[in-house]
Amino acid sequence: MTTPLSLSGLDLPRRNGELAFDAPWQSTAFALAAAVIEHAFGGDREPFRQQLIKAVAAEPDRPYWESWTAALEALVPTLPERSTP
Amino acid sequence: MSNSPHHQAPMSPVERRVAALEALLTERGLVPEGFIEQITRRYESETGPMNGAKVVARAWLDPRYKQRLLADGTAAIAELGFGGPEGDHMVVVENTAAVHNVIVCTLCSCYPWPVLGLPPAWYKDPPYRARMVREPRALLAEMGCPLPEEVEIRVWDSSAEARYLVLPGRPPATGGMTEAELAALVTRDSMIGVARL
Repeated sequence: MTTPLSLSGLDLPRRNGELAFDAPWQSTAFALAAAVIEHAFGGDREPFRQQLIKAVAAEPDRPYWESWTAALEALVPTLPERSTP
Repeated sequence: MSNSPHHQAPMSPVERRVAALEALLTERGLVPEGFIEQITRRYESETGPMNGAKVVARAWLDPRYKQRLLADGTAAIAELGFGGPEGDHMVVVENTAAVHNVIVCTLCSCYPWPVLGLPPAWYKDPPYRARMVREPRALLAEMGCPLPEEVEIRVWDSSAEARYLVLPGRPPATGGMTEAELAALVTRDSMIGVARL
């Protein structure tokens, strides 16, 4: 009954007349970082934040959510191994 | 096994990269079912400047709350039920007749999500991040917030240790207003510090 929602089908509301995300991939990237912070680093934002700082510094004029995506990609190889029960 | 997307429109390179990340992180068990939708919904419709506005209105009406807010932002904001990612280490800075505060994050556009929602586009842009530090008075004037020379401007650069929220000054002639009426006057920009009320 609960089929996975396609984000592209969501009608995203506007706040202050401004859309927070310009495209579904941006909100996905945002949520993926939240997932990694919460589920891989136990709520510690710092590993992601450090990658984001590097990604922004590497290409200051790159659109923000693209730097965000690059930061996430750089973080993946550093993810702590999960012990599967 | 196959990670075929549900929609068939051709994907841009960055969309492909995000889809690959989603597949990889899901495979590693880091993205529970429904998590992305839940986060998106939370930040698109349940979290936003209306949260910060409630905090500000409460502080205007309740001097003891204001005292707690300025002493320990995270705890006082949590009293109203707002917290979570990017909501810890909250520092609330108060505007007065003599001091105007404005927030920026020069390194990575940190932002107090639980009380302001997602940052506006200009907050994340290099010109804002660079100029608010270098020439805040000129930039504030350009953004429609000119300040008299005698008002001191304090620029607060977010860090891992601190995330800032501006407590704007209460507008004149709002004496008899309720908390809800006051909250309706508080704008996002006034809590970033690029506008006065």
